[in-house]
Amino acid sequence: MLKISKDQIGELLNIWAKGAKVFVPQENGGTSQFKAWEGQGKLTLGEGNALEPPKDLFFPRTETMYRYRVRDPEASLEELAPLEEKRVLVGVRSCDARSFAIMDDVFLTKGYIDEFYRQRRENTAVVALACTTAQPTCFCTSFGIDPGRAEGVDLQMWPLADSYLLEAITPAGKDLLEQAAALLTEAADEKVPAAAQPSLTADVGGVTEKLQQMFEHPYWEAVSRKCIGCGACTYLCPTCHCFDIQSENRGDSGYKFRCWDSCMFSEYTRMAGGHQPRPSKKERLRNRFLHKLQYFPERYGKFACVGCGRCLDRCPVSMDITRVVREVKEVTL
Amino acid sequence: MSTIQEQMRTRARELLTSGEVKMVVGWEKGALWYMSPPAFITDPAEVDRLVWDEFCHNNLAKYLLDYKFSDDRLAIFVKGCDARGIIRLLQDKQIEREKVYLIGINCPGLKDERQGAVLGEDKRAELPLAARCQGCRHPAPVVYDELLQDEGTAAKGEVAATAEDRFTATAEVEAMSPDERYAFWTNHYDRCLRCYACRNVCPACNCRECIFDRSQSGWCGKQMNRSENMFFAITRAMHVAGRCIECGECERVCPEGIPIMTLNNKIIKEINTLFGDYEAGLDPEAMPPLGKYKLDDPEEFL
Repeated sequence: MLKISKDQIGELLNIWAKGAKVFVPQENGGTSQFKAWEGQGKLTLGEGNALEPPKDLFFPRTETMYRYRVRDPEASLEELAPLEEKRVLVGVRSCDARSFAIMDDVFLTKGYIDEFYRQRRENTAVVALACTTAQPTCFCTSFGIDPGRAEGVDLQMWPLADSYLLEAITPAGKDLLEQAAALLTEAADEKVPAAAQPSLTADVGGVTEKLQQMFEHPYWEAVSRKCIGCGACTYLCPTCHCFDIQSENRGDSGYKFRCWDSCMFSEYTRMAGGHQPRPSKKERLRNRFLHKLQYFPERYGKFACVGCGRCLDRCPVSMDITRVVREVKEVTL
Repeated sequence: MSTIQEQMRTRARELLTSGEVKMVVGWEKGALWYMSPPAFITDPAEVDRLVWDEFCHNNLAKYLLDYKFSDDRLAIFVKGCDARGIIRLLQDKQIEREKVYLIGINCPGLKDERQGAVLGEDKRAELPLAARCQGCRHPAPVVYDELLQDEGTAAKGEVAATAEDRFTATAEVEAMSPDERYAFWTNHYDRCLRCYACRNVCPACNCRECIFDRSQSGWCGKQMNRSENMFFAITRAMHVAGRCIECGECERVCPEGIPIMTLNNKIIKEINTLFGDYEAGLDPEAMPPLGKYKLDDPEEFL
């Protein structure tokens, strides 16, 4: 196993930035965000995860899909150039690494491949950073995630007092280590540190089967009362992936874009003619939890929650999915 | 004298048992020690869920809109800022006074929950006052049906801050050059997720249908970019102009930590200069400055 001094992490990023665009958690207006590394910046690789999940790098908040021009009687379409930018994503925690596998299911399986997502995903190397301290809102282990070792990544890092240990997992990870060979030394005595142990837990066994019988249960009315119906939970969730597609027109030309959308909003389900199948926060909140804990497991065989705790941490009313899981299992049918 | 929390539970039990109200809205403990989210109690057997501690932030007035079309009478607990929210909603004719029973609490000022998450429970006693409480001038409720009394906090239920304290952050931004100011606001609003937590938590935001829930109206598009985010920020700030009760809930709940009150306070400051000092949500009879017309209103722009 190799190691690098924490003092040299900027140099390491500079080396990787020669052949790719490097994204790493950095301080931004009092929050921690995955931002492009431009040679300097205040890294936030210490305790705790970035406020926003890195999903934006594969599935941007807003992206143009194609452009068009209409000049009667002709109309033309302009496809966008393929996304060829090479990226290295550094400092991904185990929870967010699991979220990539979940997003892959959505965008790359079941007979449809989303080209925007695929190109970004294939052009990105992922460098994980193990967690040795859990945040109060963390509960990744409830979903079988090991905070000490991420799944499906190219390179794994572990923090020590003054250095990081590094282990290549894939050829792409090995390549990243070779690029930085001058900065790395062999780790002789250092041991992989113990993984974080979250104190919050959710016993999700059997929750899908219970939820399958609970669509009309009065529980949803009670649990949704405090919800204020904002979209903070969905936008900060590493696995929420709903989007809308709209047009922006200027004169005779315009473009189609897609942007994140949230099932917590009334407009999300409003139909032409005004019908609203999810008229209140009860139906909307229910949908969010059913999607995470019932619909996704039914379709893809896994929960669409990774226990990162961002929703609980930032919810204006501290809506707690671990409590919802517990209460769902307790209510009588 | 019993604690505020004990009185809360006692009164909630009495009100529910007697049938005077169908539901009591207060606060309860959340997943972690620094969380005290809203609680909705309908069963007298559950009143012991209610808590009163330094994290009971949520302004409960807004929830009355959820029960606008219900015939049931509700009881809610009101701190100074919740009570101003009540007046605000009454002035907008959003709620009926007789359908809500208000139990006042003299608020000692609440603590910063984010710091709680960072510092840990060992430091609970040392947590700083929440940002939203630092400029508070009315910790005592301005409207209530009964007031809970507690020896420990009653004395503090007086004007806590000076009129100018709340404009400190605004003055710092005013002192910037135009370019610096542009960089300041774009840096913050580029992070805006347009989750609308600020709007949804705000007692001044009570439109039946919000412009931002009509993305195809052509006013504000759904793209999350600088232009649309700024349009959202400015429109919302102007829309609550003269009606913002300064509870600071918008800024507290913003997941991205955007200093929304710095913007709202700028507008409050301008209104005070143009139309005379006014504080929203204090006097039900005082018309909001932008809601009334006076012959001597300033009109330099004409």
